[in-house]
Amino acid sequence: MIRSAPPPPALLLLALLAAAPASAQRPASSIVIVTGGEPSMPVPTLMEGPQNQVANFEVADHLFLRLANLGPGLVTAGDRGFVPMLARSWSRRDSVTLVFELDPRAHWHDGAPVTARDVLFAFARARDAAIAPKLATLTQHIAKVEADGDHRVIIRFTHPYAEQLYDATWHVAPLPAHLLAQLPPDQVAGSPFLERPIGDGPYRWVRRVPGEFIELAADTTFFLGRPGIDRVIIRSAADPDARLNLLLSGQADAMDNVPPPLSNLQRVAADPDVRLVRVPSPTLGFLLFNQRARRDSTRPHPILADADVRRALVLALDRQVLVQAVLGEYGEVPFGPASPVLWIRHGAGAPLRQDRSAATRLLAARGWADHDGDGVLDRNGVPLALSLSYPGSSAIRRAMAQLIQEQYRQLGVRVDLAQFEFPVYLERRDAGDFDIDFSSTTQDPSPSGLTQSWTCAGGTNRAHYCDTAVDSLITRAIAGQGDTRTLWRQVLQRIEQGAPAAFIYAPTYVYAVNRRYRDVTIRPESSWISLWRWSVGPVASPQTAGY
Amino acid sequence: MSPFGAAIRAAARDTRGRAGLTFLSLLLLLALLAPAVLPDPAAQPDPLGASNLPPSLLHPFGTDPLSRDLLSRVVTGARVSLAVAFLAVALSITLGALVGVAAGYLGDTVDTALMRLVDGALAIPRLFLLLLVLAVWERVPVLMLVVFIGTTGWFGTSRLVRAEVLRIREESFIRAAEALGARRRRIIFRHLLPNAVGPLLVAATLGVGDVILVEAGLSFLGLGVQPPTPSWGGMILDAKSVLVTAPWNAIFPGLAILGTVLSANLVSDALRDAVDPGSA
Amino acid sequence: MGLWLARRAVQAIITFVIALTLLFVLMRLAPGDPVQRLEGERPMSPQEIARLRQRFGVDQPIGRQYRLFLGGVARGDLGTSIEYNRPVTALLRERLPATILLGGTVILVNFTLGMWLGVRQAQRRGSAEDRLLTAVSLAGHAMPSFWLALILAWLVGVRLRWLPSAGLSDPLLGAAAPIAVRALDVAAHLVLPALTLILVTLAGTMRFQRGAMLEVLRLPYIVTARAKGVTEVLVTWRHAWRNAVFPMVTLLGLWLPLLVTGSVFVEAVFAWPGLGSLAAAAAGNRDYPLLMGVAILSGGLLVGSSLLADLAYAALDPRVRLS
Repeated sequence: MIRSAPPPPALLLLALLAAAPASAQRPASSIVIVTGGEPSMPVPTLMEGPQNQVANFEVADHLFLRLANLGPGLVTAGDRGFVPMLARSWSRRDSVTLVFELDPRAHWHDGAPVTARDVLFAFARARDAAIAPKLATLTQHIAKVEADGDHRVIIRFTHPYAEQLYDATWHVAPLPAHLLAQLPPDQVAGSPFLERPIGDGPYRWVRRVPGEFIELAADTTFFLGRPGIDRVIIRSAADPDARLNLLLSGQADAMDNVPPPLSNLQRVAADPDVRLVRVPSPTLGFLLFNQRARRDSTRPHPILADADVRRALVLALDRQVLVQAVLGEYGEVPFGPASPVLWIRHGAGAPLRQDRSAATRLLAARGWADHDGDGVLDRNGVPLALSLSYPGSSAIRRAMAQLIQEQYRQLGVRVDLAQFEFPVYLERRDAGDFDIDFSSTTQDPSPSGLTQSWTCAGGTNRAHYCDTAVDSLITRAIAGQGDTRTLWRQVLQRIEQGAPAAFIYAPTYVYAVNRRYRDVTIRPESSWISLWRWSVGPVASPQTAGY
Repeated sequence: MSPFGAAIRAAARDTRGRAGLTFLSLLLLLALLAPAVLPDPAAQPDPLGASNLPPSLLHPFGTDPLSRDLLSRVVTGARVSLAVAFLAVALSITLGALVGVAAGYLGDTVDTALMRLVDGALAIPRLFLLLLVLAVWERVPVLMLVVFIGTTGWFGTSRLVRAEVLRIREESFIRAAEALGARRRRIIFRHLLPNAVGPLLVAATLGVGDVILVEAGLSFLGLGVQPPTPSWGGMILDAKSVLVTAPWNAIFPGLAILGTVLSANLVSDALRDAVDPGSA
Repeated sequence: MGLWLARRAVQAIITFVIALTLLFVLMRLAPGDPVQRLEGERPMSPQEIARLRQRFGVDQPIGRQYRLFLGGVARGDLGTSIEYNRPVTALLRERLPATILLGGTVILVNFTLGMWLGVRQAQRRGSAEDRLLTAVSLAGHAMPSFWLALILAWLVGVRLRWLPSAGLSDPLLGAAAPIAVRALDVAAHLVLPALTLILVTLAGTMRFQRGAMLEVLRLPYIVTARAKGVTEVLVTWRHAWRNAVFPMVTLLGLWLPLLVTGSVFVEAVFAWPGLGSLAAAAAGNRDYPLLMGVAILSGGLLVGSSLLADLAYAALDPRVRLS
């Protein structure tokens, strides 16, 4: 017998199902991200000192919105290219004043609207050096922050300069004044607010399991659009091999920076469920040549004070091989102290290639030759022997140091490796007790960070490098006098000429994301800040080819 | 002839003891002869093309991530690793035995003082003593390394020996010796130590493997051998990141360590039998 | 006995305090301090450095720092962790359960299975089984713990996907899942790290137990017991083992503090949120308050277990007289 229609109870069931809201049928989508650091304090103005670390920033960026974000070009100078977030629009009143219009739709996760008062409150805390010393330094050029009504904020600066908009938007994200204003600043860290932070961003706080993970849930009423992924779990595992295993076993869906060595990248690339995403990193590795004597900074260094010797040392290295051997295609040799995250890097120039004969000629011209036939160059009986210090905790530098030692040996330069525990390495470096320091630094998107290490009076200029021409170029570039792009280019070129360091590597971070996520973008200035725009397809079976 | 001299001779006669000693001497011999036949362990012929190669005729143990020949590194590494391991363990065992016996037999104030010292020392992590050493010395020669590891590794052993001594000092043969008026020194060296030697030998065997890895951890922090000088423990630590993709980096030094530990075990078993003839 | 106990307790406290003081001094004498470590990656302005030094209390003279520390401990306040900016007691409390779970499991298995295997080896001395167990256990011991951990994590966790490769629990389970499900989940996560540690440490327990049994089994009173017709099982366990258990008591006393400090490598590779990795990180960061907090825990355990071990010797063998 042929059934022409389904029996009545089934029809009723079908009708019910059709009428049910879509969300009841759709299972919650999730993403598990595994990172190296543990975010213990992801609240703006509290991320000072040891809490000033990437893990905290990244979680804070899910919870709290800035007035405006950096555009894709990461340009920090000028007023153009920024993306509106809490501030719907802004305008420039004069050379020292910016006016921001807040988006009236923005609200805190407890329902209260975001107002100008929240902006003022956050800035007040940020500019107080007793509470937030680092932020206070970063916002030192902001003279005054005022409210004009509930949704307009006026920010005045101490003087005209190129990065006003950047300073007003990047460093400080507004905080809920109605929840925090009554709390004295030194009690915020231990307050209930930190157990469950209330923000205004695309994700809200769910829970934290200490030592393991943080769980966030999408704010379905987020005014810029509902996030595509419902649950976000940020899992922390300090050991890089543990992170890799979590990814490869499917326990994690995404990972920041697959750790070296190269073979790990190959393993991840071979996993059919996972896609690699390249992201320029803000890291820079370089060999810093100490220009003063090791234990007496009043005297010049017997070998490295000579600029020609330093230039020879740079020419002697095959930096391309160093990068390729340790990082493969996921890294490049930088030009001057500019990592890919610095916008000034583009078009600045190309690093010198290895030229051993030129290096030998330079050294010979300065009196260095192998007079005693022991394979090491010498001058007046003093061998060209230098020690290379680096922390044992850095896998990249450990590997490269041995390659560098071997490359220099072929030139006749004897390099002794001095590997130390990280704090010991730091102490020696700060005391100037090194010949060559294998440094690694993380750069902010703003090139003004270069003043710390590469100006004569810079606080972290440990090699005592001093070129007044560079100083004046940097000052003019920061002030915005003239074509900033050209000025910065000249800064980099002059630094390369003076050879205070051999700039070795700027790694490309390689993130790994499960293939079922779409519209994936990873931002260099804050990896997961666009996570709320991602969407997710069904769980891919291991055999599918991917999207 | 002292009982110890006799013991060592007896151990050397025992087949197991011989096997163990032979392996170790062979290893040492290889380490000394290596530079003549094997490639330079520090040479990096081709980091781009020849790194992490699996074992082959050209490289019997394969190459490491920096394209260095693994066989010559393992053999050269024997020098540092064996020297440090055996010297440090010998130092630890001696200190542990002396303190343990003194505490267990001499009792009262000596026991209290020594054991409280051991308790306190155990409470302090080795790391901080080590950092102090680093602060004082720029470069630490291998001998100092041995001394450092040896003098910080005996605390547990002393407690084990003391426990043994507490147990056997009431035995009749000890009582008899005391009754006969034997001097304490004689009792200690002739009667107590030979019978308390059990835990010492086990500690020695286990200690060898431990020390090799401790040395690796120390180089990591800046003490001990600096690259490119190879040491087995250091090679294993370096192999951590390529464990799955290039396992030979960890397997061969690991086998060398295992071989050394097993040999030490054979020798110590032989020694035990020699010293304790009744345990048949 | 009561007098002895009282004296011992006083000695224990004094030792404890002296060791802590020494550790306190050593930590600050060691090169590097928490503020300097922060300067490592990002440049800091001099004002920021000064502020941080003041906040962490490292700008004070060492005597003053020590007095502040002691005063805090007396109040039960172990200070605030520099790295986490949270009270040390809270951090210790958070990490203790995971540590005890892993450490406790390993100690339990070692002091049951390990002891039993050691006794068995002594009974069957020289047999194929004895030799095999020796070789296998020594192989496990000679292997570095992170090595075995990585192999197991990769093989069982990644390749076969039989068990989770890292972590303590599955975050996707959600806080509302039933207890039984959560317990099973944690148990699954416990298997690999516990197995790793057990394989690496079993050699120690087995060999010490075997050695001790061998010593005892040859003693005249054992021969007598056998001659009297006592069954082998009773001879082994009732007569011999009671004397062969001494080194095990010592070992247990030495291992108990490991319950607290754990195994750094295994915790790292399996992302196990225990105190061992916390303490190791604190050492590298020169996080003085956190380090002292862990030292107080483990030092206290150590001194206490030393006392307990002495008591155990006396209880097990009435001939043993303690000073």
